Amino acid sequence: MGIWLAVAGLALGVLLGLNIPLVLPQVYAKYLSVAALAALDSVFGGIRAAMEDQFDNTVFISGFFSNALLAAGLAFIGERLGIDLYLAAVVAFGVRLFQNLAIIRRYLFRKLK
Amino acid sequence: MKLSTCFSLGLVALVLGMLIVFQFRVTRHIEQGIPSGRVQELALELRQLEKDKAKLEAEASDLSIKLEQVTRGQTEAEKALKDELAKARLLAGLVPVTGPGIEVTLDNPPQQAREGGPVSLYVIRDEDLLRVVNELRGAGAEALSINGQRIVAHSEIRWAAPFINVNLTRVVPPYHILAIGKPDNLKSALEIPGGLVEYLRDLGVQVKIQSYDRLTIPGYSRTMEFRYAKPVVKG
Repeated sequence: MGIWLAVAGLALGVLLGLNIPLVLPQVYAKYLSVAALAALDSVFGGIRAAMEDQFDNTVFISGFFSNALLAAGLAFIGERLGIDLYLAAVVAFGVRLFQNLAIIRRYLFRKLK
Repeated sequence: MKLSTCFSLGLVALVLGMLIVFQFRVTRHIEQGIPSGRVQELALELRQLEKDKAKLEAEASDLSIKLEQVTRGQTEAEKALKDELAKARLLAGLVPVTGPGIEVTLDNPPQQAREGGPVSLYVIRDEDLLRVVNELRGAGAEALSINGQRIVAHSEIRWAAPFINVNLTRVVPPYHILAIGKPDNLKSALEIPGGLVEYLRDLGVQVKIQSYDRLTIPGYSRTMEFRYAKPVVKG
């Protein structure tokens, strides 16, 4: 049921995003990309936690939003400092994303056996 | 599954979907345009060029002001030189001048004797003209001419029998001597009792003096050339 709820929410979000006539300025594209990556990481972290039966709703929600905002803020500060600090966020979240994916895969295989 | 978990899951999925779709759209938008890094580079370049342009414009206006000053100085110098030249030509007697003055007419004694007087055989000589000119100069004449020949610094009045040469040009009686100056002064200098006019009249010379408010004396018409005299170079 949870999977279907997630898929429905995702579909609704995609629909909303496509139908909102707002196009963000290109300047914010970098922040938004990092924020999206962080959000994705949080989601996969949540799925992993759910599979380990350690899912905590508060941690999940706060992690989702704070990670996204923190990543965007980091990118912004990096921009002001002249350092490509968003790369750090990309690397960190990317690594965690793949780790989470690997763990989820293993859980799935274990379940299937 | 708890309700709050369902809610949060839905919310997170919603936000994630929106974020990703936004990002897709923005990325597609960027790919059509210029990459943002390039934009920043170009903006930086533009700012630099604008700064350069402002600097160059300031320099250009500065230089044009300087150029204007130089040309103004040049025209001023040219004007000063021209004024100086005109003054020098005036002083040298190369240009015609006009002003108040007197005309002295001298003629040889008549051939027929006056009533009761002896026939004068006197002929006006160069010395007489010289003395008249000298007297006029002494009385402050600023420009002089004899029969249209301007008397300048190196004019000669010379007896070349039986004529008189002025500026190497033969002048014949009657002699018209024009002088520019204060007419009263010039006239009284000549007509002073026991003076030059009296002396000439005694010799039988016909002397006539007339004042004018305005008469014109021609300029010196020959070319002046210093073949031997050279200016002394100081230092």
